[in-house]
Amino acid sequence: MSLLGAHTPAAVPGARFMDPAVLARIGNLELVSRAVCDGFINGLHKAPYFGASVDFAEHRGYVPGDDIRRMDWRVWARTDRYYIKEYEAETNMNFTVLLDVSKSMDYGSRGITKFDYARILTACLTNLVHHQRDRVGFVAFDSEVVEHVPPSAKHMDTVLHVLDRLKPGRPGGKMREPLHKLAEHFGRRGVLVVISDLYEDPEAIVDAVTPLRFRGNDLVVFHVLDPAELDFGFSDAQAFEDLESGDQMPVVPDAMRKEYVSLVTAHVDALQRRFSEVRVDYELLNTSQPLDHALYKYLAGRAKRTRLR
Amino acid sequence: MSFIAPLFFVALAALAIPVLIHLIQREKKQIIRFPSLMFVQRVPYKSIQRRRVHNWLLLLVRMAALALIVLAFARPFFLGQDLGAVAGAGAREVVILLDQSYSLGYADRWERAQAAASEAVDGLGPADRGSVVLFSSGAEIALRSVAAGERQRLRAAIDVAETTAGATRFAPALKVAGSILADSALPRREVILISDFQRGGWRGEEGASLPEGATVTPVPIAGGADAPNVAVNAVSLARSTFSNQERVAVSAVVVNRSAEPLAGGQLALEIDGRSIQTEALDVAAGSSASVTFAPVTIAGRFLRGSVRATPDALDADNVFHFVVSPVVPVQVVVVDRGGTGSAALYLTRALAIGDAPRFETTVRQPDALSDADLRGASVVVINDVAVSAALGRRLARFVESGGGLLVALGPRAAWPQGVDILPAALRERVDRTRDDAARIGALEYGHSVFEPFRAPRSGDFSAARIYGYRAVETDPSAQILARFDAGAPALLERQVGAGRVLLWTSTLDLSWSDLPLKPVFLPFIHQAARQLSAYAESPPWLTVGQVMDASFGESTLSLGGAVVLTPSGRQVPLDEEGADVLELSESGFYELRTGESDSVATVVASNVDSVESDLTAMDPQDIVAAATAGAGEGARSAAAGGAPPPEAQEQSQRLWWYLLCFGIVLLGADTLISNRMSKA
Repeated sequence: MSLLGAHTPAAVPGARFMDPAVLARIGNLELVSRAVCDGFINGLHKAPYFGASVDFAEHRGYVPGDDIRRMDWRVWARTDRYYIKEYEAETNMNFTVLLDVSKSMDYGSRGITKFDYARILTACLTNLVHHQRDRVGFVAFDSEVVEHVPPSAKHMDTVLHVLDRLKPGRPGGKMREPLHKLAEHFGRRGVLVVISDLYEDPEAIVDAVTPLRFRGNDLVVFHVLDPAELDFGFSDAQAFEDLESGDQMPVVPDAMRKEYVSLVTAHVDALQRRFSEVRVDYELLNTSQPLDHALYKYLAGRAKRTRLR
Repeated sequence: MSFIAPLFFVALAALAIPVLIHLIQREKKQIIRFPSLMFVQRVPYKSIQRRRVHNWLLLLVRMAALALIVLAFARPFFLGQDLGAVAGAGAREVVILLDQSYSLGYADRWERAQAAASEAVDGLGPADRGSVVLFSSGAEIALRSVAAGERQRLRAAIDVAETTAGATRFAPALKVAGSILADSALPRREVILISDFQRGGWRGEEGASLPEGATVTPVPIAGGADAPNVAVNAVSLARSTFSNQERVAVSAVVVNRSAEPLAGGQLALEIDGRSIQTEALDVAAGSSASVTFAPVTIAGRFLRGSVRATPDALDADNVFHFVVSPVVPVQVVVVDRGGTGSAALYLTRALAIGDAPRFETTVRQPDALSDADLRGASVVVINDVAVSAALGRRLARFVESGGGLLVALGPRAAWPQGVDILPAALRERVDRTRDDAARIGALEYGHSVFEPFRAPRSGDFSAARIYGYRAVETDPSAQILARFDAGAPALLERQVGAGRVLLWTSTLDLSWSDLPLKPVFLPFIHQAARQLSAYAESPPWLTVGQVMDASFGESTLSLGGAVVLTPSGRQVPLDEEGADVLELSESGFYELRTGESDSVATVVASNVDSVESDLTAMDPQDIVAAATAGAGEGARSAAAGGAPPPEAQEQSQRLWWYLLCFGIVLLGADTLISNRMSKA
């Protein structure tokens, strides 16, 4: 992570590494996303892999029908052979965020709910991608699809507007149904980002998510969890109510913290393992961490991927 | 330690509040909404369900704070020895009162009482002084005001002590303790009262109060009351005569005062130390049984009988002693003119009736009265006869040596000049036949002759009509026991030498009065004869604590070198010069032996006090309150003089202040702890 280490906050102090709880209070998603991303982009200004559309990838032999404009004349001058310059990525791609808006996302123990965090993250990613002139789309789902904004270069405002309106209300069910339905819609290759708290069996999650990769889409899964869900830092014996099902049960946190944490860790480990098996990027996000962290992780992961290819 | 306001302990119920807060209140907080219970539900259920106290430290701190505050409000103060710990200054004068009544012999109570006394001795500080007073019905100072350095002597006095046959009486012991404390110059005075606190030992006696500033620490020796305890409470003796021999049927009442029934026990009748009859004995708990033995012939004087029950936890009250002797009749000689005109009919008939005592009457004419008659007689009745000078002198000797003389006056009565034993000089007859007859007016009911008639409706002397009587000139040494309505003496008494003389100024037949026809005549004659013969029925037994005097039983005993043999075999000489009484201190038979012949003069049966066998305990605080009531007043009056006791009292009560402070400090600590915890 020399990347992260090399770039200390410089350009817009205060915008970067902002406490998500503070950002959540701003309210205006566009403002928030800009505040985060501007600083972010400035900070990454000299990153060698930034801007995929102009990235040189390799040479290949000229075949009749190739555009002569892409001929590498310098190579011809040296070797007297025709070579075509190939570039890394398509300059503009479809970028769609799939946001879980089930009731369980509406939980936050430290001033910001997972939903708000995910919303800001979505806004930031969308903003970032929009600056690259990529097409942005957005899908909100719980047990079925709630909102669908198809990817388009002009949909940035729509996405932010929809995001602004969204409220988690209904309990989420199986992810499989809405995601499988959506998988058919992403015909063109692009990047899909799934943001959810993934309260389901790891196998069921992987089963639900993998179809999204089928048409060559890059898939990134952000697993958003509140710190309380990770460390179970309750002390008093109380009744706990499930946000989705409404079930209640008495809980003595001190007595079961160890078991709970180990179960969550096992869950995360299982997800990590299974997603890496199916070549899906998986990232666990803690809502107490600044948003930049998530963005770095995303981009660093993308960069690594690109280099490998 | 005691409390001034123990009612505040009700507030200890508030201790439940922290517990409830810790256990229940937390559960009732608002429900925590959690994204998903997916993992929570996977954790084994039992560890979730179990409710328990989370923070023992916090709970304990809170409870301790509450308890301390309640304790402070109850105003604890120290008594007795504990006072020393608080006050810390001032040497003590400690009087250890050790109950040695026979009820302490129940189970292991005596050993525990001794241990408690030794403990009290050990509690003496270096500057203290200690006394040991042993008490039962009386109190005895075993050691008086010994320095604490001589603990060994105190301990030895306690170890040597044994239970006696006496009953518990607290008042004498407290008085003795009071006198020891009053003599002490030490600033603090304390009485340690070690007893089984039987209810029977305290009658709310006044005057048993201790000097000012003195405290009483009761040490109750109780417990072990589950063993059966029977007591032979009383014996009744029914005399009868069978073929000229006197017999006595003994009935014994056995009381079981414990909560355990006694079954399969035995009750034996012992005569002169030999068991002659045994009856089975079953007594239910808290009740009594009566056992009657077959009659026993009274073979001779001082038949010693004992009724003995099977041994139990308290042995001393299982035996009951008594002494029976054949009835000795009172010999009465009636001196009468005899013949057909005998006036002695009513008198002799009246004396022939009755058993206790029995009178054996001999009628003699004045000239036939022999010296032998006088020697054998206890009482001589001169019934309206003229007494010659010689007879008069003989009668005077008889009276001076202890005999009794009753002189009834009539028309013939005359008394020789020069023999001055009559209570009055005889004068002329007063004739009341013409007007109203005379009545007997004023009676000296305080005198033993008329004592039985004292109560209302127990004999009406005024019903008798007296038609004639002799006027008399009263001797200054005589006492007028009855008067006629006109004021003239009717009955006079005079003490002459060892005997006494009664003078009845009318006749004892119908010639001058109709008194012999009245119901009061017979008891009057009997009482007069009893009085003259100094008859005293010897009781078949006495109780420990009563005194036996040398005249017991036999009035004519010569005391030269008399010795009393106690049941334990000790010989106690009876001093002629005054200390001729002996307090009974043991249960059994006391023998009084006269010096010259070493013959048994009398035998007295001594029994333990049956009240003592009732082991019901009383509240020692009654005694403490009564004994220190005066002390409290004294302390108050002494407060102006700046005496130390009030300071010590204040000192002993100051504990509440510390308790309250500590309780508040704990509450502060509780706040700190809970703040820290809620931050964590």
